[in-house]
Amino acid sequence: MDLLPSADQQDVVRAAADFLAQEMPRDRIRQREAEASSVDAAAWTGCADLGLFGLSVPEELGGAGFGVEEEALLFRELGRHVAPGPFLSTVLAAQLAVAIGDADLVASIVAGKTTVGLAALRAGSTVDEDRVRGDLDLIDAVEAPLVLLLGPAGAALVETGQLGAVQTVPSIDPGVRLATATGVDAPVSAWLPAATRPLYLRGLVLAAALLVGIAEACRDASTEYAKTREQFGRPIGVNQAVKHRCADMAVQAELGMAQLYFAAVSLASGRPDAELQARTAKVVAAHAATVNAASNVQVHGGMGYTWENDAHLFVKRVEVLENLLGGRTEHLAEIVALPAPQ
Amino acid sequence: MDLDFSADQRDFRDQVRTWLHENKPRDERPRAAAGIREYDLAWQRTQFEGGWAGISWPTEYGGRGLSLIDQLIWFEEYGRAGLPSVDANFVGLNHAGPTLMTRARDEQKAQHLRPILAGEVVWCQGFSEPGAGSDLASLSARAEIDGDELVVSGQKIWTSFAHVADWQELLVRTSRTGSKHQGITWVICDMHSPGIDVRPIRTMDGEAEFCEVFYDEVRIPLSSVVGDVDQGWSVAMSTLSFERGTAFTAGQVRLASTVEQLIELARERTGPDGRRPAIADDELARRLATARAEVAALRAMTYVGISRSARTGTPGPEGSIVKLYYSEMVKQVARLAMDILGPDGLRYVSRWIPGGWSGNYLYSYSQTIGGGTSEVQRNIIGDRILGLPR
Ligand SMILES: Cc1cc2nc3c(=O)[nH]c(=O)nc-3n(C[C@H](O)[C@H](O)[C@H](O)COP(=O)(O)OP(=O)(O)OC[C@H]3O[C@@H](n4cnc5c(N)ncnc54)[C@H](O)[C@@H]3O)c2cc1C
Repeated sequence: MDLLPSADQQDVVRAAADFLAQEMPRDRIRQREAEASSVDAAAWTGCADLGLFGLSVPEELGGAGFGVEEEALLFRELGRHVAPGPFLSTVLAAQLAVAIGDADLVASIVAGKTTVGLAALRAGSTVDEDRVRGDLDLIDAVEAPLVLLLGPAGAALVETGQLGAVQTVPSIDPGVRLATATGVDAPVSAWLPAATRPLYLRGLVLAAALLVGIAEACRDASTEYAKTREQFGRPIGVNQAVKHRCADMAVQAELGMAQLYFAAVSLASGRPDAELQARTAKVVAAHAATVNAASNVQVHGGMGYTWENDAHLFVKRVEVLENLLGGRTEHLAEIVALPAPQ
Repeated sequence: MDLDFSADQRDFRDQVRTWLHENKPRDERPRAAAGIREYDLAWQRTQFEGGWAGISWPTEYGGRGLSLIDQLIWFEEYGRAGLPSVDANFVGLNHAGPTLMTRARDEQKAQHLRPILAGEVVWCQGFSEPGAGSDLASLSARAEIDGDELVVSGQKIWTSFAHVADWQELLVRTSRTGSKHQGITWVICDMHSPGIDVRPIRTMDGEAEFCEVFYDEVRIPLSSVVGDVDQGWSVAMSTLSFERGTAFTAGQVRLASTVEQLIELARERTGPDGRRPAIADDELARRLATARAEVAALRAMTYVGISRSARTGTPGPEGSIVKLYYSEMVKQVARLAMDILGPDGLRYVSRWIPGGWSGNYLYSYSQTIGGGTSEVQRNIIGDRILGLPR
């Protein structure tokens, strides 16, 4: 048992982390605020060149052949950078395509040519192997040819063009494009039953990874500011009101990270309590990110309330992710009903 | 990144489980001091004789010489079997023992380590004083060197199990020059020495587990000093990082079992509306779910800590993160039990008796104080992990 990433696993994400720092700095989100897509094509292609979309695609299909553990490490980096773009739905769609044996789609996603947005079902809407019906929230989907839906019975891909009239919605998060589609009745173009491969649980783990990255980035931003910002003639971090806030952020980040690793390994190794671990990872990471993002605003004072500072980017992305793939209340209801962890 | 236990480790787990099941104490733990001592030592002796004491202690001191992972397995099975916490043996097994192993001279190790494992002696920790709690380094119990002896006068307080202890890890001030961290000496004190007066203090759960200890010219041979005279602070700090590092593992597993028991209890008991089971109450269900999720994450954090220690060889300051989160959680879970029980929680039941939720609730208040308060843990995290200015 060794729950920490190996040196090899750390190497896998190091190149990605460097690339994100260079090519997807958080400031890019502000620069692209008015663009239809939050992510510029060159950066997306750069990600493809680095192999980010095929990290856990088998080598014979053009991927790197790693597992959900390495992908979780990558998503933690994406979270740290509040990276814009439909990474989550795109890599999950690649898994779907692998599972149903659609090599062309796999290749196109891995090459960065096909992006896949996310569609979430509003209450009363349904998806099965044939059709999706009802009202959908669309996340980073307008520019994408396909959307991914994760329903209780399985995962579906649907052509965005089939959704009918799509209404863009002003987004709380300048790095995420939102839209809605109402009264949808569209054919499903690819379907993966939940029993075959639990894509939804994988999605929870990756969403947790994004949230952990945010929780860590907030801890680091606050710690840095607490060391350098001076008031009353000394750094604000000497005051326990600030120091203890930072310490609590460190606790939350560590907790989220540890549970993320535990859940990723549980899923990869098929532990019987994988569902409980994955839902727990999402809940714990969302809590960590929520409190850390809020604390980070407070530690930065007036600066934390500005558009210029990154603090709001964290707050907003956390809000999007909390609502993605089920929120806290939904997961808690399942967590207490499931059998005890192993 | 893995959760795999080797075939040997799985075997080991099965053996531990079977042995604990067959050999665990069946009688209720007594409440009076003498009985506690006897009970805790007898149980430790049983473990030693069965070859189960000191899983990760070197074999030369009577341990099993196994890895931290095996130690984790032992703690997990121990906690899962619902066994009593190691209370009177805690200091020997988790503070004094590991400190002696890393810092003591060979004769000291030879004299003291095996009797701890063998359940022959009880150790206690004489660190805190009336004027030196969180600010431990300001301690003032005085020791003068007289020939080849230290002569100690002063007072310690909150010394758990001092009234039943044979030995004490004692911090005394041997010099007043230099900073307050200098001039402290870590010494092994024989609790049966003339001049020691131990007075139990009654705690809020009505029991008496800690004491005041008075020293009136108590003579301790200089050969009992661990490390050098005046250099005891660093020895004391290694003790504390052991305490905060691995010592809570069994407690964490026990906490996870407690949460499962509470979920059972909430399924069986009528809830606040007087009709449906407690678990049907949205608020209670959500708090139970949150507790289940948080203890799962606490376990993950323990595994991360053990993985880190296995790589670096020593427990780092990250132990403070686990200690802080664990002790705050113990309080939350104890509080949750009281909310599920409602008026039935008013009946006092000692924490040593199954269903002792009210006793456990009272005891839980001590958890964020003993071993360094939560505020002090936050200081350590801020200063030593995050590197914030002091
Ligand atoms: C059940 C139990 C068993 C114990 N067993 C032992 C034992 O066996 N041996 C032993 O030596 N000691 C033992 N202790 C003592 C324990 O280590 C001390 O109680 C603890 O370190 C706090 O010291 P204090 O009680 O003097 O509180 P104080 O230090 O006076 O603290 C009072 C309050 O002030 C806060 N505070 C103090 N300084 C700061 C600061 N710098 N920043 C922020 N807040 C601060 C504290 O967090 C606390 O809330 C035990 C305590 C308990 C409760």
